[in-house]
Amino acid sequence: MLRRVAISWLLAVLALPAGARTRPHYGGTIHVEVAGDPLVKPGGLARRLILDGLTTLGPEGAVRPALAVNWQSSDAAHRWQFTLRSGVQFQDGSPLTAAGVVNSLHLSCNGNCPWSAVNAVGSELVFTSDSPMPHLPALLAGDDFLIALTVGENGLPPQHPTGTGPFQFKSDANGVLTLAAYQNCWQGRPFADSVEIRGHRSIRDQWLDLSVGRADVVEVPPEMLRRARQQQFTVVTSPPVTLLALELSTSGALANPMLRASIALAVDRGALFNVIFQKQGDLTAALLPRRLTGYAFLFPTDRNLNKAIALRGGTHPPLLRLAADGDSAMQLAAQRIVLNLREAGFRVQMDSGKPQNADMILRMLPLAGSDPAAVMETLLRSAGQSQPVTAQSPAALYRAEKEFLDRHTIVPLLDLPRAWAISGRVRDFTLRADGTPDLADASLEDAQ
Amino acid sequence: MDIGEQNGVVRTALESGNGGAKKLFRFLAVCVLGLAGLAVCTAQAPNSWRQPTTELAGKIADLLGPGQANLTLSNLSSIPNDQVSEIRELLVQALRARGVTAAGPDSANSVRVTLSESAKERLWVAQVIEGNQTKVAMVDAGPASAPRVHAAAGLMLRRKRVFAGHTPILASLETAGGLVILQPQRIAIYSQTAAGWHEQQHADIAPAGPLPRDPRGILLPPSTGHGFVAWLPGTRCTGSFLASAAARYWAIGCHKSDDPWVISSGTRSALSGPGTVAPALPAQLPNGQSNPVASAQSSLPTLKAFYDASRDYFTGVVVPSPRVDLPPFYSAAFVPRPAGGDALLIGGIDGKVQLLANGSLSPVDGVRDWGSDFAALHSGCGTGTQIIVSASGEAVSDSLRAYELPALEAIPASEPLAMNGTVTALWTAPDGRGVMAVVRSAPNQYEVDRVTASCN
Repeated sequence: MLRRVAISWLLAVLALPAGARTRPHYGGTIHVEVAGDPLVKPGGLARRLILDGLTTLGPEGAVRPALAVNWQSSDAAHRWQFTLRSGVQFQDGSPLTAAGVVNSLHLSCNGNCPWSAVNAVGSELVFTSDSPMPHLPALLAGDDFLIALTVGENGLPPQHPTGTGPFQFKSDANGVLTLAAYQNCWQGRPFADSVEIRGHRSIRDQWLDLSVGRADVVEVPPEMLRRARQQQFTVVTSPPVTLLALELSTSGALANPMLRASIALAVDRGALFNVIFQKQGDLTAALLPRRLTGYAFLFPTDRNLNKAIALRGGTHPPLLRLAADGDSAMQLAAQRIVLNLREAGFRVQMDSGKPQNADMILRMLPLAGSDPAAVMETLLRSAGQSQPVTAQSPAALYRAEKEFLDRHTIVPLLDLPRAWAISGRVRDFTLRADGTPDLADASLEDAQ
Repeated sequence: MDIGEQNGVVRTALESGNGGAKKLFRFLAVCVLGLAGLAVCTAQAPNSWRQPTTELAGKIADLLGPGQANLTLSNLSSIPNDQVSEIRELLVQALRARGVTAAGPDSANSVRVTLSESAKERLWVAQVIEGNQTKVAMVDAGPASAPRVHAAAGLMLRRKRVFAGHTPILASLETAGGLVILQPQRIAIYSQTAAGWHEQQHADIAPAGPLPRDPRGILLPPSTGHGFVAWLPGTRCTGSFLASAAARYWAIGCHKSDDPWVISSGTRSALSGPGTVAPALPAQLPNGQSNPVASAQSSLPTLKAFYDASRDYFTGVVVPSPRVDLPPFYSAAFVPRPAGGDALLIGGIDGKVQLLANGSLSPVDGVRDWGSDFAALHSGCGTGTQIIVSASGEAVSDSLRAYELPALEAIPASEPLAMNGTVTALWTAPDGRGVMAVVRSAPNQYEVDRVTASCN
């Protein structure tokens, strides 16, 4: 009987008039909620919608032209010349010029730039440096180097971020940042008329709003991926695009490299993976994931407490402070690491102050891109360790990575994905190489 | 079971002569072909592994020197496990040739070989362990992806790449003077050379206004068959090939235009009453011969549709008027009706597919898997004309499939033909015997494919 009812129901469903899938519709407002500040770098979602870089990373991670149409290096990558795209206008109507790009780049890195100098020569930008910059096009695709208007028509800095991206700032009131479609965007106007981003929203509230139709796109932290699927959310997940790593200071109590090596062996990655991050992502002791290099398995991930204790020796280092740069899951992970280190004989406590002042910082580092050497350089740069990575072959890259990891200044722990849950009205929702949503290409099913 | 035994099974099935024999024969034939393909792939494998195993063995021998070592091999790659033993055997042989012989686990030296891979390439890694010292050697073992075998049944669709480029392509047209490629802000003329298509001439198009996110365009041959007419959002262009004793060149001109786009030849049967119809086709083919499909329709009126440049669809207002309000639509194509005459198939922006025949609109069923793009194909198979439709999925790789419309239900007439990426445009080829598809295979990779059908 039950089988007949089921078959009848199935036939009834199949008999319903089913429409074909259409091209994306223009119009409507996409409602997004995030835990952080959408305008703050790095990673502010709105920044990526308002601003473009000279280059960008395609979904597969390869460097693509954006505001620069082509580029070439000379002098063994000590000099780069980028040709600016012509006819591009900022959202206030002013033209994009090479001089304007130079001003924006100066402000973006405040003297700590990968280049020694950048100059505008007509519609060209010329970067020069004393050390080689083999991966400058990939570095320029990063969030740090997005191009913003620095001087408005009145000669003053614009009140709101102004760029050349698909959406432009409209208002920021009552915790909601509203962006409107930029009609003259050089990539074509986006499908949605506007995007509303509600920042500083807890994950619980984001999910509640998605459930009742108040939000279209919300965050799903890696440790909550399983729960999101259990709740029948439509979840879009990136490949692992962030590296959870423990940064160790090379000064103060951890100036001794044996102690840093001991800490690297004492951390229990399995517990972080199984308990805190709910078996999402991949265990790793390598900087670069296996999908990029193929050799990550050469760095063992197993905890070796006996060796850690032996390396620590009979010394009793002073109290170590561990800070976590991130949300509640990061705090839990840091607490777990504190326990691991205490088991190895270290005296450790959580530091709630500025992470920069701690001996150890647990943080996420970016892994976006498909060129392993470029990803490694970007990752090291974001960890404050600027050094060009010139290795090209897997064997040379492995040697460079091993040499770096043997210093034990960064202890890789987990490769983690980024994930978003979307409502049924959002279509063609895709993620960029860094795991952030590409809302310019998304559209709404019910837009007219 | 060897091949001889398989043939025996096939013979037995044929000799049984019952009603299911043909089906069984077809099934077994597919199996045999599949096994043969697999056998070919497998047979090729040792040859492709010989070079990296030799290279890796050389590196291991350089690190270890002549002697004995315990060899272990593990597979973290997509290489099938049945090929791993062959790779191991090749490696043992290559090591032996360099003076390294495989020994038991009691050996003081050990070599751990891991067949690994990244997203791009296979990487074989050897860890050479002597005492407490470990040295590492690596070799590149080729790209990680493996070729796939596709099979189709019924009407068979085939695709052939005509052109590939790194910038968005809206439409293309083969003419007597070469290949015309329509891009959002450019028209380029290519000539065929021994090395492939070579850009001969181009003209920039100043956009009439901001372009939509996914702009569309149409390229049609004029009725003479020489030159082209192009429509883009807010712009109309014409091109004609001029040949004189002094020079041979294309004269290309563009101007702002909100005029309706020519989407097909019209028909009294579809729009107002009985008559005949066919897609807009030139009277003459690029090779100068007369177009047999077009010759029967040369006297038909032309159907034009107004295009909303900001919303990227046809508004539903068409000329001449069909005497019925058409919904806004993305695609339209004429299809022959079994009772004679033709009807206009419309893919609405709401996802509904409707058929306009004898002055009235009727919904079409069986279009759940349809995307927004379709075009008519005059294959000569079955009813003679099929609709080639893009798939509705959001998969990275799109597909095309042939359908027939005997009544108001779309019936699949072929297996889906996998494309290299997302189909962004689809139209009937000038000779009517194929459809042309623009495929975005990667963010900056576009190709134009010609899709034809053969009767099974």
